[in-house]
Amino acid sequence: MTDQLTTPLRVESNDAGLAELVKAWLVESRMPLPPEVQLSLIVTDQVPKPDDPRPSFFQAGVEVRAGEPLDWVHLQWQLAPAMARIDAGGPTATIFLSRDAFADAELFVRTFLMIVVIFLGRRAGRFHLHAGTAVDPSGRGWLLTGNTGSGKSTTVALLASRGWQIGTDDVAFLTDSNRRAAVLGIRVPIALRPGGRALLAHHSGKGMPLTRRGKTGFFAEELGGRWLASVEPELLLFAELGNGRTRLTPMEPTEVMRVLMQSSPWVLFETTAAQEHLDLLARLARQARCFRAQLAADLFEAPGALQDFLP
Amino acid sequence: MKPIRYQRHPELRLTALEGEGVVLHLKERRYFTVNETGLALLEALKEPRTVEELVAGLLAEYEVTPESAKATTEAFLKQCTDAAVVLERPE
Repeated sequence: MTDQLTTPLRVESNDAGLAELVKAWLVESRMPLPPEVQLSLIVTDQVPKPDDPRPSFFQAGVEVRAGEPLDWVHLQWQLAPAMARIDAGGPTATIFLSRDAFADAELFVRTFLMIVVIFLGRRAGRFHLHAGTAVDPSGRGWLLTGNTGSGKSTTVALLASRGWQIGTDDVAFLTDSNRRAAVLGIRVPIALRPGGRALLAHHSGKGMPLTRRGKTGFFAEELGGRWLASVEPELLLFAELGNGRTRLTPMEPTEVMRVLMQSSPWVLFETTAAQEHLDLLARLARQARCFRAQLAADLFEAPGALQDFLP
Repeated sequence: MKPIRYQRHPELRLTALEGEGVVLHLKERRYFTVNETGLALLEALKEPRTVEELVAGLLAEYEVTPESAKATTEAFLKQCTDAAVVLERPE
């Protein structure tokens, strides 16, 4: 599929190549950011260090300073000279970075720029959620969350191979859709580890090597599914790998909230939009039937995939 | 002597879920749940309140005795002030 290199949001840079790189990523991944979002990228040999006394925390190689008493967010990349300031109040950010920082374009966009986008999204009503999404053949929306290595991507790939529509296998954004919780996906390859790929061997083609991550990527269409931008979850699964048989067990509402907050931890780290974010998580927990899902190899033999295990 | 007024911490965020409340404490970056009565008290504590005002609010909303409402309120406030979830406010 060919896209024109236009994004709804404004991207500016003093380096035309970098601006095109970032725009291409935003377009190709269908990043669900609204037009009011603005991103400035300044290539410089002198990346400033933030004068910011707030305690920091680390996320995916990025040092984050956020929360009171200041309203803006500072991000510093640990892998190369790059610093971002996300403004208070509005969805605008400025990134200062060296040429070294985007020499490995895939690493730059997948780690540092992704976290900048997560904070920008918060200021525009898009709240990052670590989850996969899909719609089954009868039109029901599913959301799969769980820790890293819990089988989300492999399950999403299986669902694609059964003709389900797929939103995302990993990066999702929770948003309001006419008083319902909707989850917006990005269109990037479903990333399978060798074990997951082996389970789907008879479904999958060659895929694309994601060498640095030790994975292989497949678009939903390559597996027999179709990508879609938005899913309104009616079923929510907290996935974990189990032995023996696949089993779905109902979860209590407070347990669901605990799981959702683990999957969307930014709710705790910034006052901006925290109430809206929390209310959306609760709305999601209310609108979906929620289950703890122990996933096992028999899932791959079930004709209806996850549907066959609903109690 | 004027009665003590209480107010919830300004960095608290609350939401209701199935008869319970989910509470974020953004300053401490933690969350916890409270029962329906606790949620009602924390919602009232958005503004500074005395124990008497809080008890009156519970009596208006729930079928409980004044003694029970007062005991519940005082126990909740003790727990919350110890955890810096609720603060004592000077007049």
